[in-house]
Amino acid sequence: MAASDPAAVHAALRSHFGDAVGDLAGTRPDNTATTVAASAIVDVCRFLKTETGLAFDCLSNLSGVDYPKRNVIEVVYHLYSYRYRHLFVLKVDVPRDNPVVPSVAGVWCAAEWQEREVFDLLGVTFEGHPDLRRILMPEDWPGHPLRKDFVEPEEYHGISTSRESLLKT
Amino acid sequence: MSLINTAPEMALTTKIDDFLNWTRKSSVWYMMFGLACCAIEMMHTGGPRADLDRFGAAPRATPRVSDLIIVSGTLTLKMALRTKVLYDQMPDPKYVISMGSCANCGGLFQLAYSVCDGVDKVIPVDVYVPGCPPRPEALTEGLIKLQEKIQQERWLVRKPTVAANA
Amino acid sequence: MYFQFANVLVFFLLAFVLCGLMLGLGLLLRPSNPHPGKLTTYECGEPPSGNAWINFNIRFYLIALVFVIFEVEIAFIVPVATVFRDWIARGQGAFALAEIALFVAILAVGLVYVWVKGDLEWLKRLPQSRGEPAAEPLRRDAA
Repeated sequence: MAASDPAAVHAALRSHFGDAVGDLAGTRPDNTATTVAASAIVDVCRFLKTETGLAFDCLSNLSGVDYPKRNVIEVVYHLYSYRYRHLFVLKVDVPRDNPVVPSVAGVWCAAEWQEREVFDLLGVTFEGHPDLRRILMPEDWPGHPLRKDFVEPEEYHGISTSRESLLKT
Repeated sequence: MSLINTAPEMALTTKIDDFLNWTRKSSVWYMMFGLACCAIEMMHTGGPRADLDRFGAAPRATPRVSDLIIVSGTLTLKMALRTKVLYDQMPDPKYVISMGSCANCGGLFQLAYSVCDGVDKVIPVDVYVPGCPPRPEALTEGLIKLQEKIQQERWLVRKPTVAANA
Repeated sequence: MYFQFANVLVFFLLAFVLCGLMLGLGLLLRPSNPHPGKLTTYECGEPPSGNAWINFNIRFYLIALVFVIFEVEIAFIVPVATVFRDWIARGQGAFALAEIALFVAILAVGLVYVWVKGDLEWLKRLPQSRGEPAAEPLRRDAA
């Protein structure tokens, strides 16, 4: 079983999906990634999981990055294949004011809680997710903490969130 | 029906108070409230090498049967609400040991958005044990300090009236 | 002989006195500060949800019932075993053996019944469905 390098995986994706798959960016093996359009991400993931030469059966990581300067939130998918032992990285850019991405929880079960985390901390809504609710912050927490413009609330249920240092003179 | 704080301060009653406080401080059952890394050190303090059981302190899992709650570890805002509920459910007389920097003042994570900076924002603390994490000997010293505090309490004897400011 | 009963009386009185003393001292010396937070139901800090009464699986009752029956059987067999030698000495050993064997056999029939009916299974299974449901209801014999 031969491991495919990212260029080969990217070529397979391009031949299958055409323009929905962006260029392969990055130089080193650990930062090569492909941008995928949000509407095609579920089909791309299913293709990558079920295709015989690729077999990406493990979603190692699903996380989000907030880029206020580009005005996008990027959802990053790290895929790994136990069968062929190769890696691949997908990125989906969504606009910051209305971030909606179709959910890949139907392809990999691991995506369920990871998407809940991205929803909780960055505010990205995942369409088709079976149980989209906050996972780390309390249910009634205002805002999404990992956004760059997040402002910590003054108090939460009567507990103030700042502490005066006793070392101040 | 209660005899607490009813007796005048005499030699006999203070001696009875000493006896009662000695019995109370020698069996402080603590509720293990291990939240993070300090919990490991609390477990070690209850372990064979630095033994808390020789002071009569037995670990309990529920607040209903415990005198003491050892808050060990980072208190998040989500957990702080539950800590208040659990502290309320402990019967009197109850004590709190805040173990480690995170429970004292938020510690390393004081600037984080989700951390409650210190358990004394929700419950009144009797003894603060500094450290990150405090060694078992440090937690034992904290318990001994709490025992000294318990020994000073007035149980049968009337509490002293506050003297009027001159 | 009746004086022996005074021992029992003293024990009773001592039990009552000691328990009363301990509970009474507690009543006198404990603080009493009931407030709504203290009286809530304990559920690890969360607001309590659901009923406190739940249904238990009936297998516990079945096992306890079977246990009691066979425990009583053992309790009846043990005295027979203690006097068996005397019966043999009198020449009636075979009769005693037949009697106790009949006793055990009757209860063994009960054990076989319980076993075959599946009451001793710890993990109970739902009854197997028989293919597609019948088009008409199953025939019932008239009472």
